[in-house]
Amino acid sequence: MADTNRLSAAEAVARLSSGALTAEQLTRDCLDRVEERASVKAWTYLDPDYALAQARAADRAGRPGLLAGLPIGVKDVIDTFDMPTQHGSPIYQGNRPFADAACVALTRMAGGTILGKSVTTEFANRFPGATVNPHNPAHTPGGSSSGSAAGVADFQVPLGFGTQTGGSTIRPAAFCGVVGYKPSFGEFSRVGIKLQCQNLDTLGLICRSLDDIALMRAVLIEMPHRKVERAAAAPCIGLCRTPLWDAADGPTQALIERTAAELSAAGARVTEVEFAAPFRDIHKHHRSIFNYEAAHNYAYEHRERRAQVSAVLLETVLDPGRDLPLAAYIEALETAEAFRAHLDDLFAEVDILLTPSAAGEAPAGYDSTGNPAFNSTWTLAWTPCVTLPEGNGPGGLPLGVQLVGQRFADEALLDAAAWVEAHLN
Amino acid sequence: MPNPESHRLSAVEMAQRIEAGSLTAEAVVQSCLDRIREREPVVRAWAHIAGDEALAAARAASRDSLMKGVPFGIKDIFDTADMPTGYGSPIYTGCRPSFQASAATLPRAAGGVLLGKTVTTEFANRHPGPTANPHNPGFTPGGSSSGSAAAVADFMVPLAIGTQTGGSVIRPAAYCGVVGFKPSFNMFAPAGMHSNTETLDTIGIMARSVADIALFRAAIMAIPYEPPAVPDRPPRLALTRTPHWDKATPDGKAALEEAAGRLRAAGAEIVESELPNSCTHVSEVQNRHSYFEAPRNHAPERYRHEAQLSLALRHGRIEGGQKLTLDEFRTAWREAETMRAAAQNWAGGFDAILTLPAPGQAPKTLASTGDAIFNGLWTLLHMPCLTIPAGTGPDGLPVGVQLVGKRHADARLLDIGLWVESRLEAR
Repeated sequence: MADTNRLSAAEAVARLSSGALTAEQLTRDCLDRVEERASVKAWTYLDPDYALAQARAADRAGRPGLLAGLPIGVKDVIDTFDMPTQHGSPIYQGNRPFADAACVALTRMAGGTILGKSVTTEFANRFPGATVNPHNPAHTPGGSSSGSAAGVADFQVPLGFGTQTGGSTIRPAAFCGVVGYKPSFGEFSRVGIKLQCQNLDTLGLICRSLDDIALMRAVLIEMPHRKVERAAAAPCIGLCRTPLWDAADGPTQALIERTAAELSAAGARVTEVEFAAPFRDIHKHHRSIFNYEAAHNYAYEHRERRAQVSAVLLETVLDPGRDLPLAAYIEALETAEAFRAHLDDLFAEVDILLTPSAAGEAPAGYDSTGNPAFNSTWTLAWTPCVTLPEGNGPGGLPLGVQLVGQRFADEALLDAAAWVEAHLN
Repeated sequence: MPNPESHRLSAVEMAQRIEAGSLTAEAVVQSCLDRIREREPVVRAWAHIAGDEALAAARAASRDSLMKGVPFGIKDIFDTADMPTGYGSPIYTGCRPSFQASAATLPRAAGGVLLGKTVTTEFANRHPGPTANPHNPGFTPGGSSSGSAAAVADFMVPLAIGTQTGGSVIRPAAYCGVVGFKPSFNMFAPAGMHSNTETLDTIGIMARSVADIALFRAAIMAIPYEPPAVPDRPPRLALTRTPHWDKATPDGKAALEEAAGRLRAAGAEIVESELPNSCTHVSEVQNRHSYFEAPRNHAPERYRHEAQLSLALRHGRIEGGQKLTLDEFRTAWREAETMRAAAQNWAGGFDAILTLPAPGQAPKTLASTGDAIFNGLWTLLHMPCLTIPAGTGPDGLPVGVQLVGKRHADARLLDIGLWVESRLEAR
């Protein structure tokens, strides 16, 4: 079969496991696509011979494990013992860690292979890498997991790791028209992922099918593979415009409202959900925690390698974070805890929330990877999030809708997302 | 000017004398290095000593900085770009990361001189390193921050950094007779600390006085330094025996009762009070977090180096963690949040909680680092903890008491600690 690179991860694994497809063939198809579409610039390190060698080794071993020789992309803030890990920064040019990150080792233990390292913005932050949006190269792919989103959207790899501290998995997935997933905080190990904010950093997945998320969850948590339930009852959906609704452009606002109406018509109960008054500026507390923790966790780069840090990171994050008083940080931590309890209360009434994935379609140009306003609140909330592609914006680039589940109800979120996906036009 | 015994000064005294010009940072570092040369064959506190580099850094240290060239040690669970980083595991022997942990960078930026890496148990877990208790080398120094506690106790260095996931700062500090401080969770930036259990790992510090803890805390947090101040009135303390009182040894129990008596005599209000009922199985919840995370966090070593993991780790936390279900982990997480809220509410009724830092004096063995049963609960509750020496046990080894504060009221706990320290010292 030609073009196996277009299979979802779960579809590819089914064929790999049954013997209908070899890991070498799948990897070759991915590599051919990478070569053909080099202009997307999704990869910061990719050695085709080494990728094929891993695939052939998987074939020789009989393609064992849940992943059976599936190649995946690894965002370049995630350590790999056999490939450079450069964090999108000149400070780490050629850096070769001694050990894999936990998520990489777990992938290999499940029979997966690593196709290459995907482009990240500098330290999973704002200063962009080289990647372009595969739907229109004049537009950003979003960030910071730029390469994983673009590579998956462009059929160069079935699945990529991202990370999210503000909006770095959900937003680029939406901008590139693919599925993105941020799990409940605490479920995926972060060992070997460059630490930015201990209270926010979350390993995420970018792929083309909800089934792929369920598969990778089993790999990363080392639990039995629980597949998405596609015959679930219609969920109760909370339409959550969030206090930042005005930041969304007209087409995005219309998309969310139209989606709510369609899902209601399809049988879902849809109610409006609002944050209580103390949490209307919760995104500001996210910003305080982000800046404070990043400034202290990047102390080495900030204080000893400052000349090699981008001006935008220094001016918008590291210097303000260094100068933020401890009391403001603690206030933000305690407000975040109260906000999480508030969301638990809201979820007593609904199964999932429906909210924008981003403020609009991917902006033109590469200076900015877009506005994380519709993501950072949920990162702070530690809730699981999924973005599903839905339609296009006025510039012809993809739009997405974001579904948010209750903390530690990731399986229920995936089931509800499957219902939503089946009932979208 | 040269003071051959300057390694015995407190960090605050060192800084004051360096600032006044009566002592140089280089002389302090040289005195510490001399002490290490003399005692290291017995104590074995260090995984790596960077003597020449430390002397050079001391000569370059600014007298305008907070730490003025005062030396410190850091547990070998932290990444250092200019020193090997071994995590107490043969897998990582000789590794040289490209990154420097924030816990090393920030004190250096504040004028501290990093003397070297102190011995940790394997991955800050249970399998011990070679360190002995400096008070009697037949006894454990405790762990996992074994080298940091022993080095500070033995006057090799005035300040050292450790980590606590169960009881790895407070217990070794108590066993070695020094002051140990575990801040509220996440107050010290964790970048570059090798993870044991992400939901529990807490960076802590050790010194020989509460005042030194306050100085070092300011350096590691990069916050303005304010010396601790004795409170206006004697504190109201909860005397808390915890659900594990039957695990305490007679000497441990006696030390706590005696300390409570002396503090009461000094004017403190001592109220017997236990954690709320919702917290009775707090230690089990703490354990469940560590066990669940262990196999996932150690996946890199399991995949490529399994034979070099200790049997204790493989057959303990890793295999134990593989038996837990996701629901058990999620329930533990939710229970932990409920317990934290209840404990915070309860702790608000007191200036601090007075409790045991360990079951008693250090056990007479180097094969085990002792029992963390009196620590894991407070680590899970994310509350700040301070251990202060309070005399000696039956074999002449130190025993301590532990003070626990409300979460995020760390500076207040040091103020209370200063008062308690002064009353326990005055015999």
